[in-house]
Amino acid sequence: MTETTITQNGEAVIRRNKKTDLKELLMKIVFIIAAVCFIAAVLIICLFIFMQAVPAIAEIGFFKFLFGTEWKPSDTNPKFGIATMIVGSCYVTAGALVLGVPVGFLTAVFMARYCPKPLYRVMKPVTNILAGIPSIVYGYFGLTVIVPLVRRTFGGSGSSILTASIILAIMILPTIISVSENAIRAVPKSYYEGAVALGATKERAIFCTEVPAAKSGIVTSIILGLGRVIGETMAVVMIAGNQPQFPSSITDGVRTMTANIVLELGYATDLHRGALIATAAVLFVFILLITMLIALVRRKAK
Amino acid sequence: MKKLLLAILTVALACGIGFAAVGCSEEAMSDTISVITREDGSGTRGAFVELTGVQAEVDGEKVDRTTTSAEVANSTSVVIQKVKDNKSAIGYVSLGSLTDDIKAVPYEGVQASVENIKNGTYKLSRPFNVAYKADNDNATLADFLKYIKSDEAKTIIESEGYIGPESTQAYTKPETAPTEELVINGSSSVHPLMEKLVAAYCTASGVAASKIKLGYNDSTSGMNGAMNGTYDLGMASRELKAAEAEALTGYVLATDGIAVVVNKSNPVESLTKDQISKIYIGEAKKWSDVGVDVNEAK
Repeated sequence: MTETTITQNGEAVIRRNKKTDLKELLMKIVFIIAAVCFIAAVLIICLFIFMQAVPAIAEIGFFKFLFGTEWKPSDTNPKFGIATMIVGSCYVTAGALVLGVPVGFLTAVFMARYCPKPLYRVMKPVTNILAGIPSIVYGYFGLTVIVPLVRRTFGGSGSSILTASIILAIMILPTIISVSENAIRAVPKSYYEGAVALGATKERAIFCTEVPAAKSGIVTSIILGLGRVIGETMAVVMIAGNQPQFPSSITDGVRTMTANIVLELGYATDLHRGALIATAAVLFVFILLITMLIALVRRKAK
Repeated sequence: MKKLLLAILTVALACGIGFAAVGCSEEAMSDTISVITREDGSGTRGAFVELTGVQAEVDGEKVDRTTTSAEVANSTSVVIQKVKDNKSAIGYVSLGSLTDDIKAVPYEGVQASVENIKNGTYKLSRPFNVAYKADNDNATLADFLKYIKSDEAKTIIESEGYIGPESTQAYTKPETAPTEELVINGSSSVHPLMEKLVAAYCTASGVAASKIKLGYNDSTSGMNGAMNGTYDLGMASRELKAAEAEALTGYVLATDGIAVVVNKSNPVESLTKDQISKIYIGEAKKWSDVGVDVNEAK
């Protein structure tokens, strides 16, 4: 009797295990497929970019391409130098971060710790709406409102680094605000309470204990913003002026790498197309470097 | 605390309104020209630099001399918007997309209009020619020629922003679609339009798309190929030269006109080819360099 029950029980257990095993295996396969799809997508994109970029760069010459200051694709003897665009992308990105990060960070602190409830109920959806506006709409807004404003206030034609920076700063606000806000909210209440108990004011408690504790989240929000700025295309192409030149002031126009690609890809053939894809490859390497650099900084901070 | 908050919000709002008010105030026309061009590879830019002499031959190589400080707009509508907003801007658009918001500058004293292009006085235009050997008995060519002289083709030509041919007739589908291969090649400026026409022709006539080999290089190669029989139909974005006109039968498929545009308040009355190319090369940076007094701006 006892034996049989044991065997019955044992059998029953084994049977159930088989069923769950099968289910588990099935789900494992589903997850693996999902992961493989994702990795394949990244790899295919990389492969596609570099397969077209490498021959083009080889034909143009690595240094001529990266450090060449002339971009004249339609001449009989074309010149493909993207130094001006690398500089352009850097200026616009720096400008957007200088304008966007302080505003975004302080708004996040405000929303996490100071905002009265009724105002928060308005502000939260507003930031979400801001995140959902298509970039072409930002571009058009920039073209019709910010460009004339900059022209009237600072002179020049209005399409400039400054204009692009302002629009891009607005575009990264939602990312910075929501990610930073979540990071600040995630800090345990005891940090704040402890600081206040030791006699710190509210401001001191927030900025000297909570913010440092939320540092990694805030840095992440800035990286996400940086990624968006450097990759942004449609808005920038409408307002940055797109001149392939080294700017001498922030009211001069520049061409970013993304703008260069979108401007000419429609017409480009042969080497010209290769040079544009190679620009994308440079952009790719740029983003890779930035991500790695930030990871390094964060690891050191820990 | 709440009062402080309210105060800060009020100040911010006031600043915003103040900034907007500055933005809305009437601005004077600046003497510095804001030069607006199109992106490299654009057909409009290609025609513009060629016709105004911005593109020059240096040591036998074509060089687009457009100044790097010229703003690059990625579409006609962006050019129009920028010229509309900026009193000291100059740009160019194809004649078909000219609107009332901006002012077309007379070129060499001639107003930009379809009539002036047709009677040949407005020089900032170029014909899109196709040419073929009169004794070519390719059946597909004959039918395709009928199609590009049709009302349907004219609609396509005009929707692409070009000036269509004057007289057209209706196209009738042949009872049996011709199966001979048709080779078309030539000007890269005519190519985009030809691509549209070929696609529409294949649907209209039932000719298999694989039977039409469309490619592009340049006008002269297109004409030479048509003369030596490599191509059945050559494309040229210029007038036919005497030798070409003698050997080939030409047909003006469309005319591409370009208008140089400025803001409505700009007092400029006319610009010459030389002045325009100086502006675009970057030799003339101020309106006063081309004889325009900004104080007369409306």
